[in-house]
Amino acid sequence: MRRRPGIGGLQTAAAARDQYRLLGENVAKLRTDLMKEQLVTFRSQLEEFARKHKNDIRKNPAFRSQFHEMCAKVGVDPLASNKGFWAELLGIGDFYYELGVQIVDICLVTRPHNGGLIKLEELCKLLGQRRKSAREAVSEDDCLRAISKLKVLGSGFEVISVGKSKLIRSVPTELNKDHNEILELAQSQGFVTVEEVQRRLSWSSGRATDALEILLDEGLAMIDDGHRDGRRRYWFPCVSSASSYVGADTL
Amino acid sequence: MAGKWLPAAELTGSGRPVLQPSEVECSFLSSVDLNCEDNTNFPLFKSGLLILTTHRLLWLPDTTTAAATNSAAAAAAAIPLAAVTHIFTPKKSIKNMFSSPKVRFQVSVTPEGRVAERGSKSMVITLILRGKSDPDAFLGKFSEAWRGRAWESSGSEASSTSNSRQFGSTDGGSSGGVAVRMPVVGVAGILRKEQEMWESTDKSLQEAFQDLNALMSKAKEMVMLAEKMRLKLLSGSNNQTSATNDEEMGSKEEMQDWLLSVGIASPVTKESAGALYHQQLSRQLADFVKIPLEKAGGMISLVDIYCFFNRARGTELISPDDLLQACSLWEKFDVPVMLRKFDSGVRVIQNKSHSDEEVFARIKSLVLEPEALRTGISASDAAMTLGIAPAMAKEHLLAAESKGLLCRDVSPDGFRFYINLFQEINPDDVYFVKGHGIYAAWVSAASASASR
Repeated sequence: MRRRPGIGGLQTAAAARDQYRLLGENVAKLRTDLMKEQLVTFRSQLEEFARKHKNDIRKNPAFRSQFHEMCAKVGVDPLASNKGFWAELLGIGDFYYELGVQIVDICLVTRPHNGGLIKLEELCKLLGQRRKSAREAVSEDDCLRAISKLKVLGSGFEVISVGKSKLIRSVPTELNKDHNEILELAQSQGFVTVEEVQRRLSWSSGRATDALEILLDEGLAMIDDGHRDGRRRYWFPCVSSASSYVGADTL
Repeated sequence: MAGKWLPAAELTGSGRPVLQPSEVECSFLSSVDLNCEDNTNFPLFKSGLLILTTHRLLWLPDTTTAAATNSAAAAAAAIPLAAVTHIFTPKKSIKNMFSSPKVRFQVSVTPEGRVAERGSKSMVITLILRGKSDPDAFLGKFSEAWRGRAWESSGSEASSTSNSRQFGSTDGGSSGGVAVRMPVVGVAGILRKEQEMWESTDKSLQEAFQDLNALMSKAKEMVMLAEKMRLKLLSGSNNQTSATNDEEMGSKEEMQDWLLSVGIASPVTKESAGALYHQQLSRQLADFVKIPLEKAGGMISLVDIYCFFNRARGTELISPDDLLQACSLWEKFDVPVMLRKFDSGVRVIQNKSHSDEEVFARIKSLVLEPEALRTGISASDAAMTLGIAPAMAKEHLLAAESKGLLCRDVSPDGFRFYINLFQEINPDDVYFVKGHGIYAAWVSAASASASR
């Protein structure tokens, strides 16, 4: 482009620059769109292959590692077995093991938000998103069955009922840091209520109730239902020194 | 001694071979002798574990029977498949039926007699399979791996990859093709190049996914394509944060999640390891748990490891029972991790260094503080000081009590633990207080509180 003098020249140059920029943006946008499209194809094809040719892929170790690498890089879950007749009937085959791994995976990923306690419905929903390629939906019953297969690995992973809903707890009591937070919270007045724990730590009611019940079972907490406001208080005699809560009681 | 004739093979802490990039194990055989008749100085490798990979034949001495691991690591040897020049087909004869099956192959050696690729001389190596194994199946896998020449592609890959990346196309970027193409000039040229690139990617995608064989032959290319897409999408997220919708964010998050789960390139499988499955699995697991264990602070629940390990293995799932069995085999090997079961039934994996002795030492220093001497400590005190869950702390305190380190006091305040003074008290003279020691410290702490 030849440079021309004067304001007119500057304006043309600016206009040209704008045009180039616009074009560049368009190309970049087109590129990402195309890329996304290809990625979708890539993914769906991989998913299909993972399901259809599972046994063939497993037979060839060198190809298997390449296939895994592909899956990992574009974000495809290679675990996509269908339930099948035998799995449904006898609970054998890989289906429930795969489901088990995916369930634990979801529990691990959501742990920072929920402290290792997740509602069965929510788990099913997330599982459905993971397995969108699989033809059949995963029912809550399938989840429970898959979880029961994990029993061998110790009692840390279990289904508990809080009220009407079922919750999955993935952190064993021995490794649960939630309890430490409650103890810290209780330090100021010697007791906490479920509502207080929910509010102060912004936990769900299930998480708070569960943690307090465990502390009760462990013999660290004592309950007091006799207070005027009718809310159950969980006292922690161990965290506050004797004098401080005797003083609080006489008030 | 072996190093003179065969290249040495590196082993991990738990006695598993260190594999080269993209090297995958194909078969395991136990009690295999490795012998060479041509070279009289060649030492006899007796009754070891033979591992066939896509790149090498590894011979590991049998560590389960005896022998210190140090000398074992020194003796592990490898024969690069690249050095193999011929595999003999065994002659079927009546004589062979009564002896152990043998597999013979020719390797190239340097004039000094060391096995190496492109050596000028050659010699014959014999494998004697003494274990219960299928020699024909092994021979089949051996020649398949040898003919596969996986080592070649991984060696030359680096240079060819960088070339094709520069051209921005996945069609291999043959130099002839570039010359014929329209010269890339101006905006139109750039646009056309862009278009060509996408078309070629589309085409190769279509071709690769025609059937399984096509995908196998194009696997390397597809892995590269996947890598490229991932990098572009991930880098794109940093530049244009404003224009991202929910779905896109979701897919990106998904990809980042998945990054964590790429792991074990060569998982031990029932098919490859056969009877050695649990033993090898156990060693692989011991190597694997190190990193997650470190992240989790020295203790991790078995269920979590089950998920991590299976994720790293991809489609080669192991069942919970297999995992448990692999963990319980650790007692027999010299590995730095251990399985622990709590009274509650919870099973965890922990570092051996994270052991009871260390925890007891910390508990002891905790109960010896003046305040603790007077009022004792509760499980929650210990939990907060040690940075562990109360249930865990209680477990440790009870263990310390059973060792005689602590004494309990049950009161309306709940369980409280004190330092065990009974060891220091002389039964003949209970009022005698030594000038120093724990008893004296306790007396002074207690009297200080009484006078207050």
